[in-house]
Amino acid sequence: MTDTAPPISDLDLFDDTVLVDPHPSYAALRDLGGVVHLPANDVHVLTRYDVIRNALGDWESFSSAGAIGFNPMVNAALTGTSLASDPPVHTQLRAALTANLSPRALRGLKDSIDAKADALVEELVNKGSFEAIDGLARALPLAVVADLIGFTGHVRANMLRWGQAAMQVIGPMNQRTAESFPIAGELYDWCSTVAAEDLAPGSVGRGIFEAEARGDIPPNTAGHIIHQYLGAGVDTTIASIGNILALFAAHPEQLALVRENPSLVPAAFNEVLRYWAPVHAWGRRATRDVEVDGVLVPQGAQVAILFGAGNRDPRHYEDPDAFLVGRNPVDHLSFGYGPHGCAGQGLARLEAHAVIEALARRVGRLVVGPEVRVPSNITRSIEELPVLKMAPA
Amino acid sequence: MRIVLDRPRCEGHGLCEEAAPDLMHLDEDGELVLDREEISDADAALANAAVRVCPVAALRLA
Ligand code: HEM
Ligand code: SF4
Repeated sequence: MTDTAPPISDLDLFDDTVLVDPHPSYAALRDLGGVVHLPANDVHVLTRYDVIRNALGDWESFSSAGAIGFNPMVNAALTGTSLASDPPVHTQLRAALTANLSPRALRGLKDSIDAKADALVEELVNKGSFEAIDGLARALPLAVVADLIGFTGHVRANMLRWGQAAMQVIGPMNQRTAESFPIAGELYDWCSTVAAEDLAPGSVGRGIFEAEARGDIPPNTAGHIIHQYLGAGVDTTIASIGNILALFAAHPEQLALVRENPSLVPAAFNEVLRYWAPVHAWGRRATRDVEVDGVLVPQGAQVAILFGAGNRDPRHYEDPDAFLVGRNPVDHLSFGYGPHGCAGQGLARLEAHAVIEALARRVGRLVVGPEVRVPSNITRSIEELPVLKMAPA
Repeated sequence: MRIVLDRPRCEGHGLCEEAAPDLMHLDEDGELVLDREEISDADAALANAAVRVCPVAALRLA
């Protein structure tokens, strides 16, 4: 075992300018090493592709228990969830979580998601100019997840705030986190009191309660499962759909490739996810002294996984800063990997593929104004994207 | 060389089938079926690609 300490950087991972445009900082950290110690945040960041993928696969050395968030309050609040557990407990929790999210469980939703996306895009093409984050990136996931869980009434209206806050509070205890805790608390409270009758009959949400009543999943877990769908599945998907629009507008020749060859749709989504990772940083804790890339990550160290830094690692992807749908990077890191690999990726794919297909089918020219970004701790997304011209194909 | 599936871990994402359709497929119920478990040298690259692409690490080579 080496006793070489990792290189040190004075970067603050959660500084406003870094959050808005992290890629220059990712590149600098990656050049320093596969692991870099950031005293400003008291974390060891993982920056290179192989280092990240190995750590995600090695839960025995890099534990999720009490470690995925960057402040003690959120880690305490997440205790007992799938996200914050290690095998073998994690394996059981995950089975209950994915029973309704696996591609086979979601098969029946594809047609209605395709129809929703197509109707939205048709309406927007008819308008010609609009604000795309509210008009599409938020509209589709909110409608899809609301119907999935069976939300009605005021809860539907709260989904966006709740979903944003649930991600924001994963960050360190800064002002953004402090302001978001009360909102994340509203979500938590609602999930701990929601009952089957509150959810639409026939919805997946209602089904989770029925599974609990039958004893298929442990008592009092239905609310937690719904909490995780909302916390993990709304803000991230919104980010990825906004990114689809912005990247196709910036690279019209790439949209043209998909229009000519619709079988490139899944490849295009993989490249959007690789190019702009929706999740900035996610935590683990070293359970022992671990040697990584020739340096020592000491036992107990808080680790931050930088998915977006790994996705642009030139050791793994040729010409990593180019946006090329044809490269089909199936092994990108934006959904994580291994035991905790995103449980909702099947649903995220259904939504994003529906959007890309509708855009490729209906849209000829796409012209956007400057995107507006606001710093946020964990989800990196576009806040406003003015579409100046969306012309029919 | 053999390809080994950790069945409880497999969630039917089907990315392995896209990488190596000659070696495996999802059946009508969305369950993964390994069509060839013994992997010849000629198929080793495909088998590797399937193992690599599984997002939940349910496949390995032994
Ligand atoms: C593009 C959209 C999405 C992105 C980029 C994304 C990203 C991620 C990442 C990086 C992880 C791994 C966390 C870790 O390693 O600890 C994860 C886990 C998870 N995601 Fe997603 N996600 C997305 C959509 C969704 C959706 C739509 C849902 C549910 C409706 C969802 C539910 C979950 C759950 C429940 C976990 C925890 C799994 C576990 O602990 O085993 N995600 N996601
Ligand atoms: S990619 Fe992995 S999870 Fe998906 S079907 Fe293949 S083995 Fe199962």
